[in-house]
Amino acid sequence: MDSQKVDLYLMTNAKFFQPQHLNYIRERLLLLDESKWFMIQGIDLKDPTTILIVSIVAGSLGIDRFMIGDTGLGVAKLLTCGGLGIWALIDWFLIMDLTRQKNMEKLQQFLQ
Amino acid sequence: MTRNRLYLLFIVALLAGYTYLTWALNQQHEHSTFTPCVFKNATGIACPSCGSTRSVLLLTHGDLKSAFMLNPFGFIIATIMLAGPFWILYDVISKKNTLHGAYQKFEQALKTKWIAAILILLVVANWIWNINKGL
Repeated sequence: MDSQKVDLYLMTNAKFFQPQHLNYIRERLLLLDESKWFMIQGIDLKDPTTILIVSIVAGSLGIDRFMIGDTGLGVAKLLTCGGLGIWALIDWFLIMDLTRQKNMEKLQQFLQ
Repeated sequence: MTRNRLYLLFIVALLAGYTYLTWALNQQHEHSTFTPCVFKNATGIACPSCGSTRSVLLLTHGDLKSAFMLNPFGFIIATIMLAGPFWILYDVISKKNTLHGAYQKFEQALKTKWIAAILILLVVANWIWNINKGL
């Protein structure tokens, strides 16, 4: 793919991924076929900051886990009222990185 | 989620659950108003799963009706806590991954729109009921 497009993509979307993955993403995107550009742009990436706010407000209902696609754990969190509050508290610190990991997993499907 | 990670999480959750349940069983007669629920402590309103501890405790005494009236979630939790250890043991001994497969199927099913909608409605209905009961 065109390096200008790749740099544009990385500039606008850097906050969605973990910093250590950015170089890898750039290299893989450069190797990618031009026709996949629209698919790459269409991926539903979740903003870590938004998820953090959701986690703080409705973390004990498991909504944050549902939103990033961990539905199984979301149900567990809902049933136990956020793991008696302890799990909900731990997730405030984990959820941003987890969101970035999930975003990477979504992008990874197109990079191979 | 990988198989071993899921099983590890499951075992930790089960251990924590049983520890808490044993503690709650011993506390039962002291009529304390203690609640571990952060949501309830912060807002004063019951959360959708408030009362499930009391519901499971009633189930251990075999009082099915009052357990259901208190919070139906108690039945789901009790089923998971009873079946979980045996299912994990079966998988570990026979080196299969039936639980992991079931978990993934369950996650996929939840992502279906109409199933999710029905479940969300049930949870919200249960929540309204909880608040009305004044748990």
